[in-house]
Amino acid sequence: MKTNSIAPRQIFFFLACVAPAGKLVLLPARLAEAAGNNLLFPALFHLVLSAAAVFCVLLLAKRRESFYALLQGTFGSAAAKILCSLFALFLLFASFLPLLEQKLFVQSVFYDTLPSVVSFAPFFLFLAYLCSKPLSSFGRVWDILGPLAVAAFAGILILSAPSADYAALLPAGAAGGNGFLQGARAGASWFFDAALLIPMLGKIDYRKGTAWKGAACYLAGGAGVLFFLATFYGIFEGIATNQLFAFSATSKYFSGITVLGRIDYIFIYALALVMAFSCALPVQCAAECLLQACGRKKYLPTLLGVGASALLFALSLLCDYKFADVLAAVSGLLYWLFPLFCLLVPALMLLFLLKGGRRETA
Amino acid sequence: MKNISGKLNRDVKALKTLLPAEDILTFAFTSERGLAFTLVYADPITDKELLGEQVIRPLLNYEGGAKAKAIGEKLTSPELRTEKALEKLAEEVLAGNPVLLFEGADEAVIAGTKKVFVRAVAEPSTDVVVKGPREGFIEDVKINTSLVRRRFKTGELKMDMLEVGRRSKTAVAVCYLEGTTKKSAVDDVKKKLGEIDIDYIPDSSYLTHFLSSRPYSLVKQVGTTEKPDIFCAKIAEGRVGLLVDGSPIALTLPYLLIEDFQSSEDYFVPPYRATFTRLLRLFALIVAVYLPAFYVAAQLFKLQLFPVKLLLTIAGSIRDIPFSPSLEMLLVLLVLEVLNEASIRMPKYVGMALSVVGALVLGETAVSAGFVSTPAIIIIAFSGIGLYAVPNLIEQTGVLRLVMLLVAGSVGTYGIVLVTAFVLLYLVTTENFGVPLVAPFSPMKGRDLRDSLVKYNLGSLQMRPETLKSPNKRRLG
Repeated sequence: MKTNSIAPRQIFFFLACVAPAGKLVLLPARLAEAAGNNLLFPALFHLVLSAAAVFCVLLLAKRRESFYALLQGTFGSAAAKILCSLFALFLLFASFLPLLEQKLFVQSVFYDTLPSVVSFAPFFLFLAYLCSKPLSSFGRVWDILGPLAVAAFAGILILSAPSADYAALLPAGAAGGNGFLQGARAGASWFFDAALLIPMLGKIDYRKGTAWKGAACYLAGGAGVLFFLATFYGIFEGIATNQLFAFSATSKYFSGITVLGRIDYIFIYALALVMAFSCALPVQCAAECLLQACGRKKYLPTLLGVGASALLFALSLLCDYKFADVLAAVSGLLYWLFPLFCLLVPALMLLFLLKGGRRETA
Repeated sequence: MKNISGKLNRDVKALKTLLPAEDILTFAFTSERGLAFTLVYADPITDKELLGEQVIRPLLNYEGGAKAKAIGEKLTSPELRTEKALEKLAEEVLAGNPVLLFEGADEAVIAGTKKVFVRAVAEPSTDVVVKGPREGFIEDVKINTSLVRRRFKTGELKMDMLEVGRRSKTAVAVCYLEGTTKKSAVDDVKKKLGEIDIDYIPDSSYLTHFLSSRPYSLVKQVGTTEKPDIFCAKIAEGRVGLLVDGSPIALTLPYLLIEDFQSSEDYFVPPYRATFTRLLRLFALIVAVYLPAFYVAAQLFKLQLFPVKLLLTIAGSIRDIPFSPSLEMLLVLLVLEVLNEASIRMPKYVGMALSVVGALVLGETAVSAGFVSTPAIIIIAFSGIGLYAVPNLIEQTGVLRLVMLLVAGSVGTYGIVLVTAFVLLYLVTTENFGVPLVAPFSPMKGRDLRDSLVKYNLGSLQMRPETLKSPNKRRLG
């Protein structure tokens, strides 16, 4: 494997193991609030659409050209620069909600009492350091995080499942079409994994079958998320909407905890480690898009990394007590940005390239 | 470069000008036919008995002419060379090889009668095994190369001798199996060794700095061993080995982090046992690094981490302690490090007294005086023992434990998670000689995982590690 490329196995680890980790914190409560006991349906809807988008992006990877090069080939340099920068802005925007989500999660789960505002600040140092590394280094990180995430996720499910009453999910479809639509809208901002693959185009070491295997891996990881959602609702039922940090809440009713202590924290810490990387990925992807648009210069990756981290740090301080407003804005008002960039962009790119390819052949 | 002139007195004078030191001596004698000879040698490092036996005695009744070749045939020393250049001759004298000059000489004769001071080959104290070979390298590079050569009866084993150090001219043997070790790796090592510009190499550890891609890194990037069996096993896998004169510690490249979790004994016991001990080492290391940090973070930020009964016990024991949990833990850790450092350097007969002082006076009395709590001492003791489960990484893990402790005391458990993320990212992005440090885990090499933390039986290890990119992939029939 080349050191600056990402192997298909690493992409599969990301899609099957790392990507689901970000959907275990606030999403379950949000879906329960919007769709009630039918929270599985909107999640399934998003998973299927995202899997299709993942398939499209991985098909684009077959050409072994970067996002910028693909855009440049279709629309010319100026348009490619604008589109790349727009995409970078979207990724920065998309990274903000998971970042605040993680911040709240850390402040609530890792401390007995509310810590100071700057307790989350070291994360931004990590973010800046991560952004100074090439995007392909994520591939190697996923080799380690993939098995770790599976082990941690399995551990939490094993501790949680005995306490769940899965009958709470019945009758299926009770929330009706409106509930489904509400759920789909509320959950849209958590499903932008396909967009994260776009800046990696040109770095993915495409091999035969990578596209469908990638989509299948994403669905397999999604199945894990669905099982967790079912378990979550099975445990909390009517009060599920108040359980904001889902995966740290489901396992605490395990009977062995009174004797052994909170052993579930071993898995929670492992998932927090996975989440630290998955939260940083959109920011690094945004930096990569900007790098592609501006051209690679010596200190630019570090500068962009530090700049993006500083910007997000400042925003996180500003929005420290306004999470509800941010959530309402992102998943209530601007939710349409997610399907636009995550589903439409890959589909349109594929369509343009197919058309261009036919013309070339003709 | 100036050559010898053939005028004996002038050549001796020229050589003495290059070597003005007082321990460089000359011995003049004449053969029965009247040919004048002068030996120039470094007194402390020349075996004079051997010199008399193999050089002077045969020449006393020499009847031939002033030709280096004919003189060489008369000598009984197995190591003979001829050389013209005065500077080269001076280097040979300094290396312990006497130079024989004679009237009308076309070339000088160099005899290999170096005096070698060596200790016996013994079991290294850093790598003791219950089962398996007990030989260890010593400080003499020739004996070390012989220990390696004895294990490979093949012409494919190459030992290229290089000299490193402007003044020390330390001999470095670059050992590899031709056709098994990637040629570019050998060339890279030789190139890096050739680029070293330092006057003195006292030990192989000096070379590690020059052979690392990140010389200031906390992470080790060159493998070390004191045992010829481990050294040969690594060469057989496709690595390059370095034996440095004056050092019992051999170097191996490229280095993988997993090597330090493997012991030579793992290959002489059943695979399930080897797997168990490797996992145990990893567990001990994780506990050693994380336990003090989590104990402090739990006390300060997240009491829920303790089971209720344990929490009550801890609460009882820390009630009267005047220090904060992090300060208390840092103090105990500091005392442990001081005791550790002192016990290594102290003469053995004082060691016992030190143990008594350390364990009873400092430990027992500090607890009863209420300076530190019993759980803190237990945790640091366990951490101290755990660190030695992987002794080759002790320098790195000791620092990491301290960093974890400081972060845990200030940021809490999330700080520990973030430091772990930093370390993980740093490790996966570190490469030396094109080989990732944490392979075969990242990038994952399925087949290489068979001899990683898990150890398969020998029959399953048919191929050499893929990570090392050996041109000869198969090692088992």
